[in-house]
Amino acid sequence: MANIWATAALWIGLAFLASIISIRLGLSVALVEILVGIVAGNTLGLQTDTWINALASFGAVVLTFLAGAEIEPEALRRHLKASLAIGFAGFLAPFLGATAFTRFVAGWSWPQAWIGGLALSTTSVAVVYAVMVETGLNETDIGKLILAACFVNDLGTVLALGLLFANYDLHLVVFVVVTAVTLFLLGRVTRFVIAAWGNRVSEPEVKFLLLVLFFLGWLATIAKSEAVLPAYLVGLAIAEIFTHHRPLMLRLRTLAFALLTPWYFLKAGLYVSLPALVSSIGLIVALLLVKMVTKLLGVGPLTLVFGLERRTSAYTTLLMSTGLTFGTISALFGLNNGIIDRTQYTALVTAVIASALVPTWIAQTWFLPRTEETPRAPADTAAPLPGVETELVAERATREDG
Amino acid sequence: MYRKILVGFDGSPGAQAALRHAIELARLFGAELWSLSVIEIPQWGTATIAEIDEQRRIVEQELSTLQEAAHQQATEFGVELHTVTRMGHPAQLLVQEAQRGAFDLLVIGHSGRSGVWGVFLGTTADKVVRHAPCSVLVVRW
Repeated sequence: MANIWATAALWIGLAFLASIISIRLGLSVALVEILVGIVAGNTLGLQTDTWINALASFGAVVLTFLAGAEIEPEALRRHLKASLAIGFAGFLAPFLGATAFTRFVAGWSWPQAWIGGLALSTTSVAVVYAVMVETGLNETDIGKLILAACFVNDLGTVLALGLLFANYDLHLVVFVVVTAVTLFLLGRVTRFVIAAWGNRVSEPEVKFLLLVLFFLGWLATIAKSEAVLPAYLVGLAIAEIFTHHRPLMLRLRTLAFALLTPWYFLKAGLYVSLPALVSSIGLIVALLLVKMVTKLLGVGPLTLVFGLERRTSAYTTLLMSTGLTFGTISALFGLNNGIIDRTQYTALVTAVIASALVPTWIAQTWFLPRTEETPRAPADTAAPLPGVETELVAERATREDG
Repeated sequence: MYRKILVGFDGSPGAQAALRHAIELARLFGAELWSLSVIEIPQWGTATIAEIDEQRRIVEQELSTLQEAAHQQATEFGVELHTVTRMGHPAQLLVQEAQRGAFDLLVIGHSGRSGVWGVFLGTTADKVVRHAPCSVLVVRW
């Protein structure tokens, strides 16, 4: 067995390098860590170990929890029907499309095709959020609706991942019942823990949340489900509390991004085989196209129905075709459980990485919404450009009325 | 010759050079001088909402400080600089505001913060020159 410190130094060194590159290029650190993992796996012969796998699993769970906790609960409640409709369509269309494509065109078995469908059914909430902030739509009802729909989309993926491959026996019943009870009580108990023992150096509230995540993760895995399923649900349940306890969320984020997620994303890149990537290039392009087209067909019409202007609808829908975290989680689940092989994993993860970049590029090049509604940033204290103020005021009034 | 000048200002060395030229031209022609700073929200492969909020906060703080310095610099030359910050895409907003504000000169740096991506995707200056409704002065530094 290699020296544990040497291995740790090498992995964290790569994670540090990935952080610097991500800042320099303005790319997500998660994406760069996967890419660095690909390079390291194919050139340095980097290997995983039991303890690395454990840290990577913790990383995936905590990351999923934080992703769930980023939702605005009030927006979800207010737009429940519409966000369920758009989010469900955003999950179902690419899931069915990619499952059918990998099963009947690529010739994968059904379980392999399900993994393919799941990996390509996700959406990147962060990318859509960026667009909403930029166009000012994040302050509008329709923007909040689209964001809530993105969470529902990913919830669909996580639920399907957790339930498609589970054993339907007593273990699953125990897992479902305990998870439901935990989710019901979690808000009150967490508030109590924070009030009684919060904000101490020993971080009891952080340990409490990790306890919940790991305990439900254990129940999930003995039911042959996935630990990220309860993690996402716990995140959704705790989101309200995080809006009042931002420092707690920031401390968990620091823990996750410094210590846990690098292992997960580097590992996700490690298993991508460059020779397999070259030989599967046609399949990768096809998978990306399937994801984009099915997402457009599923989500596009609904965004129009719910009030997005045509060009903004195309732009938003394209950006809902992006994805990264849950795509790699689904693919890695398939690989770790022996459902898909390394070549299929390579094709899926590469298509997922491409989906983090290509739809954004297409959207920005050909479908950029006109930014008449671009709001002035809070930092702006000066008068607006001449000839613009009247329109801005009118637009703001329209938005507030709407 | 020029009555209203708009300078693209992102705080980069290129933008600083553009600002110096714009101040000088505004003083020379007695023109009105406006600067437009654009906060670009990262979308490329972004994985978390926190990354976006963090980037936005950093740029807002940085631009606020830089604009104050730019304002002082203009004042020293006896020119009043009006500063505006928007969120969006730099090239698109520069062209749009030049049109809507009826500016007759747009001053930009040859290379700003397009950085590595500019090599592959084209710089802001490339795009502004192609689409601007008025004369464009691209300042090399």
